[in-house]
Amino acid sequence: MRAALPLAEGRVERDGVGIRYERYGEGSPAIVLLPTWSLLTSRHWKMQVGYLSRHFTVVSFDGRGNGRSGRPTDPAAYTDVEFAEDTLEVMEATGVEKAVLVSASAGALWALRLCAEHPDRVLGSVFIAPSVGLAPRPAERDVQRFDDVIEEPVGWQKYNDHHWRTDYPDFVSFFIGQIFAEAHSTKQIEDGVGWALETTGETVSATHVGLEGCDEAQVRGLAARVACPVLVLHGTDDALHRVDEGAALAECTGGSLVALHGCGHFPHARDPVRVNLLIKEFVDRVAS
Amino acid sequence: MRARLPDREGVVERDGVRVAYEVYGDGRPALLLVPASPITHARSWKMVVPTLALRFTVITTDGRGTGRSERAHAIEGYAPHAIVADLLAVLTAVEVDRAVLVAHCHAVPWILRTAIAHPDRVAGVVAIAPELELAPSHAHWAVGRRWSDDVAEPVGWARFNRSHWRNDGGYRAWIEFFFDQQLPEPHSTKLYEDMVGWATHDTDPESMILQEESSGTASTEAEAWCRNLGCPVLVVHGSDDPCQPLERGRRMAELTGGELVVVEGGGHLPHGRDPVTVLNHITRFANSLQGADMPSTTWTRSAARPKRALYLSSPIGLSHARRDVAIAKELKLQRPDLEIEWLAQDPVTTVLEAEGERIHPASRWLASESSHIVSETTGHDLHCFQALRRMDEILIANFMVFQEVVEEGNYDLVIGDEAWDVDYYWHENPELKRGQNVWLTDFVGFLPMPDGGEHEAYLTTDYNAEMIEHIDRYPWIRDRALFVGSAQDVVPDTFGADLPAIRNWTDEHFSYSGYITGFVPPAPDEVPAIRARLGYREDEQVVVVAVGGSGVGRALIDKVVAAHPMAKRAMPELRMIVVTGPRLDPESFAERDGLEVRGYVHRLYEHLSVCDLAVVQGGLTTTMELAAAKRPFLYFPLGHHFEQNFHVRHRLERYRAGTCMDFTTTDPDLIAARIIELAGKPVDYVDVETDGAARAAGLISELV
Repeated sequence: MRAALPLAEGRVERDGVGIRYERYGEGSPAIVLLPTWSLLTSRHWKMQVGYLSRHFTVVSFDGRGNGRSGRPTDPAAYTDVEFAEDTLEVMEATGVEKAVLVSASAGALWALRLCAEHPDRVLGSVFIAPSVGLAPRPAERDVQRFDDVIEEPVGWQKYNDHHWRTDYPDFVSFFIGQIFAEAHSTKQIEDGVGWALETTGETVSATHVGLEGCDEAQVRGLAARVACPVLVLHGTDDALHRVDEGAALAECTGGSLVALHGCGHFPHARDPVRVNLLIKEFVDRVAS
Repeated sequence: MRARLPDREGVVERDGVRVAYEVYGDGRPALLLVPASPITHARSWKMVVPTLALRFTVITTDGRGTGRSERAHAIEGYAPHAIVADLLAVLTAVEVDRAVLVAHCHAVPWILRTAIAHPDRVAGVVAIAPELELAPSHAHWAVGRRWSDDVAEPVGWARFNRSHWRNDGGYRAWIEFFFDQQLPEPHSTKLYEDMVGWATHDTDPESMILQEESSGTASTEAEAWCRNLGCPVLVVHGSDDPCQPLERGRRMAELTGGELVVVEGGGHLPHGRDPVTVLNHITRFANSLQGADMPSTTWTRSAARPKRALYLSSPIGLSHARRDVAIAKELKLQRPDLEIEWLAQDPVTTVLEAEGERIHPASRWLASESSHIVSETTGHDLHCFQALRRMDEILIANFMVFQEVVEEGNYDLVIGDEAWDVDYYWHENPELKRGQNVWLTDFVGFLPMPDGGEHEAYLTTDYNAEMIEHIDRYPWIRDRALFVGSAQDVVPDTFGADLPAIRNWTDEHFSYSGYITGFVPPAPDEVPAIRARLGYREDEQVVVVAVGGSGVGRALIDKVVAAHPMAKRAMPELRMIVVTGPRLDPESFAERDGLEVRGYVHRLYEHLSVCDLAVVQGGLTTTMELAAAKRPFLYFPLGHHFEQNFHVRHRLERYRAGTCMDFTTTDPDLIAARIIELAGKPVDYVDVETDGAARAAGLISELV
């Protein structure tokens, strides 16, 4: 059973793509829990919703490409602009004029765009383990070749278009395991694998290609325009994106960094208490 | 001694009245603390100033008519507009454009007037127990209607009467009655004494009368201020405030859209009686005015944390440092995975540095407890119970440093060797406890000195009662209480009237580690070699006179030196070594044949452990070192030092060790006679245990 049930659910549609959203709680201000990479659904926020919705209005939605949202096949439907526009549409539908954005991993890309281009809609932004290309990736990922055809790929070679199309479950199993560097994460891994298997390798491939335009120069350009309060949370043991990446984002947005010593890529799932308290503290400060 | 001295001080002069101010710290924002003068003054903020000054610029002022400010001699001198002008003049004098104004009781209307008239100067308002006519006053204040009447022999609230204040003793009687009422919290003796002292010594009835008659605010005015206030507001109010009903604070918060903190069970003086919670709220409020940014920090997930202990060692006397190092060494042997950090101050840090121990950098923020003790000592006299009471502002300042350290440090264990601040304030604020907590002490129970009479017995009983209530109510604050010694070392007294016997209670609430010397005394066959190494011949009678490092002891040395000629005549083989410690100049003592004066002796305990006789004060460490080494010694407990006179003496008598001497009644002839009688003579002391540190470490390591 869920810890909290939505007060409202609905669907918005943009260019024929349906987006399913949920709204919880009635407090002020509102928080939008942004979708992450469409490998996962909005359920990855499940450890946040119950607590945060007791204090604030919480809106979440499945990103296009997974969950109960539509699955366009054209990579052009998965740019950061599309995710940002989906967010604004969901905010309209839920009557949220301004919100604190909370994003994880690739969700940072649309959060940044919203902060930079729609400052009147954003009170502040929490970035968890941002994937924004501002620092080198961990050395283990050097073997990654997305477009090559690799027979029997091992490790990060599995981050590969051909592999996703031929043995998507194997990639999912590897990748979700990398997200949770912490010992004793079986439940988090099971959950992540389950959500990832709600979509397909082909769809995930399209989302990847759609985001290829988000390079460092673009990210820095957006970050320089961020005027709202920013909090970055980043695990020091993140196997996907090093803590330097979060530190760089905090620096170029003028935000604060809370380094989470010993945490992997999804601290909100693995260390939800501390992350919930940090989000609450940030929202309280922004709202006061 | 104060916990912190001002960085700057000065006066502003307006209409011929000089108003004193002080400035502490240089952080942002600035806080101007406005006392409810003239009944009290800047010192009423003593429990909060040192801690706030670590982060903010803190400006205090003695209002007109009290403290270091001058009196105004006409009613206009106390008019609200005059006080508002003083506050602005102080801000200007200290070059602060904008400040958070913090006020108590009838000073709250002054800061509201300031904030309404000069919104650009006021960043926020903190009102403690505000006197604002936003709700009816307590019924007992109806006596105000008879303020100007001649009331014959008023009692209770009726002492609020002008002619009574002008009568002999009437004003003081009112003040004592008033503050007794304002502190419904039990065990408030020190705050009560402070408040009565400031109200009776630092102002006068005429200033108080002028201030009373100049005040008074219509309810409509107070309401308008609150509605028109443009800055953030924090109201702190005790639920049981006998001066200002809680409803007034509640209404102020409502009308201003501010935040209300109710101190449930609190009286009229929460900043004095519950300083921890008041400090935390003021700090949070002031920080919130500095923008929404969160601090950049690190949080370590639980599995990634090493096992860590924070060790606090009392700097009063040297016994703590030595035994705590011994315990820490044993702990590391028993638990190699345990990291130990020390929150410590001089002189403990000197010992720790020599041992290579890790000292937490926040140690530098600690206010000096040992300097306070020195400042409380005169001649051969130290009233250590009163010295501890007067250390209240140092203890709260140091507790707040400690609390920050434990909140950031993820310690599994806190070990406090007579860390009075931690023990007291964790029991007073149990929600702040972090980790497992070990309390160590070598005495239990404050005992009154006979010449303190009934009042001192009342005070020690009250302190003991508070401690007993603390532990009964919150048995989970001390996870382990260790008595450094054995059950027989506990004095056979009681905690006071209607309180338990100290021994029974200690048995129920403590574990015993045995005594911890921190060193192993030489065996009899090792003594000649050590004497030879130290330059003492077998045919000499070596008498070591040592007074510790505190600067206390000149009087004792003078007396012993005066005894030297007589002893030397009777005992030509006498060689007296006088160790003055770092605070007394050896040059100020004349040397003569058979008398050597030294400022510092490395490893003094070695000299003591092979001497033929020692003359020392009544401190536990040195006397027990002599007991362990089985040397004859004369000890002189400091006057009015209950611990040396009762607890240490009781323990030494249990070991049959040493000869207790009364300083005031002992003359040089008697000292000489005792030296001649006892030097080099055999003793029959009970063995002092040598496994105390290991036993203590074993009892502590069970917790991690």
